[in-house]
Amino acid sequence: MTSTSAAIALESVSKRYGSTTIIHDLSFTVQRGEIVGFLGPNGAGKTTTMRMIAGFTTATSGRVTVAGYDMATEHVEAARRIGYVPERPPLYDTLDVGAYLTFVARVKGVRRGAMAAELERVTAACRLEAVVGREIYKLSKGYRQRLGLAQALLGDPDVLLLDEPTAGLDPGQIQETREVIRAFGRDRAVLLSTHILAEVTLICRRVAIIDHGRLLAIDSPAGLQRAVEQTNRVTLQTSAPAAALRETLLSIDGVKAVEVRPGPGDDGRLTVDCQVDLRPDVEAAIARAVAARWDLHRLERQQPTLENVFLQYVAGPARGAA
Amino acid sequence: MSGLLAIYRKELATYFRSPIAYYVVAVFLLGTGYFFLYNVVLTGETTMAGTFQNMGLLLLTLAPLISMRLLSAEYSAGTAELLLTLPLSPWQIVLGKYLGAVTILVIIAAGTLVDLVPLYLFGTPETTTIAAGYLGFVLLGMACLAVGQLFSTLTHNQIVAALLTAAVLLGFWFVGHLQSFQTSAALRDLVGYLSFALHFVDFIRGLVRSEAVAFYLVVSAVALVLSAGYLQWRR
Repeated sequence: MTSTSAAIALESVSKRYGSTTIIHDLSFTVQRGEIVGFLGPNGAGKTTTMRMIAGFTTATSGRVTVAGYDMATEHVEAARRIGYVPERPPLYDTLDVGAYLTFVARVKGVRRGAMAAELERVTAACRLEAVVGREIYKLSKGYRQRLGLAQALLGDPDVLLLDEPTAGLDPGQIQETREVIRAFGRDRAVLLSTHILAEVTLICRRVAIIDHGRLLAIDSPAGLQRAVEQTNRVTLQTSAPAAALRETLLSIDGVKAVEVRPGPGDDGRLTVDCQVDLRPDVEAAIARAVAARWDLHRLERQQPTLENVFLQYVAGPARGAA
Repeated sequence: MSGLLAIYRKELATYFRSPIAYYVVAVFLLGTGYFFLYNVVLTGETTMAGTFQNMGLLLLTLAPLISMRLLSAEYSAGTAELLLTLPLSPWQIVLGKYLGAVTILVIIAAGTLVDLVPLYLFGTPETTTIAAGYLGFVLLGMACLAVGQLFSTLTHNQIVAALLTAAVLLGFWFVGHLQSFQTSAALRDLVGYLSFALHFVDFIRGLVRSEAVAFYLVVSAVALVLSAGYLQWRR
């Protein structure tokens, strides 16, 4: 056990299979009370990273610690503090739900006297009460996914590792699962690998983006959005002569480019896209200047979505800089 | 210890919730019953010697069916990812599973005790010889299952695990027949020593030689050490 306070810490972790390097020099931490989203395209190394943190595979070089325990040398101690949901729920089809959960709870050292209460706790949290006696091979995909999460919650771990935990769930189940994750993340650590960007925006405090086994960025969703885009777009609708409007807009400090097009209706209004810099008072200046001379019907500043941020990082110009 | 016990109980539950264990036990008991009828009722001998010999060979073909799923099934179902990330050492996994398979073996052996009833009713068999035969049978089975578990640890495919196990076990069984072809005494000894069958014959005759007991235990131990080592290495 080391003194590091992070719940999950990766220090210069690399993973090689033969001559192929899957993960390059990856370093990041997840603190207690924090849900960190783990984003990357397919094949970026998310699952390999999750597996190294869970102890399914070991790092070729560098160090992975969970709750202060080194995964290479103190795997069993660390494993007591980890709940892990792999991409494919690891279920024994021939067992029934109760027998399966009892097995995992026993291995995690849940005492006989506490067993019933512990099973009740996780089945209630994951809404599995209706299927406790059912054989696992008879379960629907949604139940299988939630049973995978339920086994991870057994034994009250300090760290949850979730590889695509809401894949295959219907919208109601997704909401419930997010609630479980959010509640867990209040005082413990969660690393959540996902393709669903909205999920990240909704429940994660920070986001790590990886591609080709390299960490491209780690920051809050808002911080990433700020870092990616040097300009924002302000869109307005007004009824004004195009030439005068363009001249007025370009004279405002902070407006870099203006594009005027007719529409949206056929009542003579114009739609204008302005590229503006990141100062927050630019849109107010635009609104004042336009409203002073013409009718201003609509004005909005468009923030970059996390989707754009993600695409910029994994395919766009930011990649070279990162 | 609790981890090992949890694995063991899960293994037994899994065996008896799939048809394989029932199939193996049923085929084994039917087969043994047939051999018993043939050896005892038709020939009139009141020993288990012939039946034990047949039980040994039957075991060689059925043990791979017991052991093939031990880890292969965990790999292919994705549950290895759970098993290897739970707070368990490779040893707890390997031994828990092995003891589960050995329990099936003991159940099979216990089932054949039925055959002893007519033997004792209509004859006077030597109890110590029969006990030695059963000891040999269980030791032989333990070695077969450990070898089978090793192959199951090495591959995702249960069929491949079973076929490789059967091939290796049959090799170990029949290697004794090569003895008569060897001119060098050392080779003859070695071939004899490696033979699963020759050691087993001693037990059937009522001879419990420590060398034979040690042989089966060492084969089992080596296979289990290799299995645990492989699980550790593949991380």
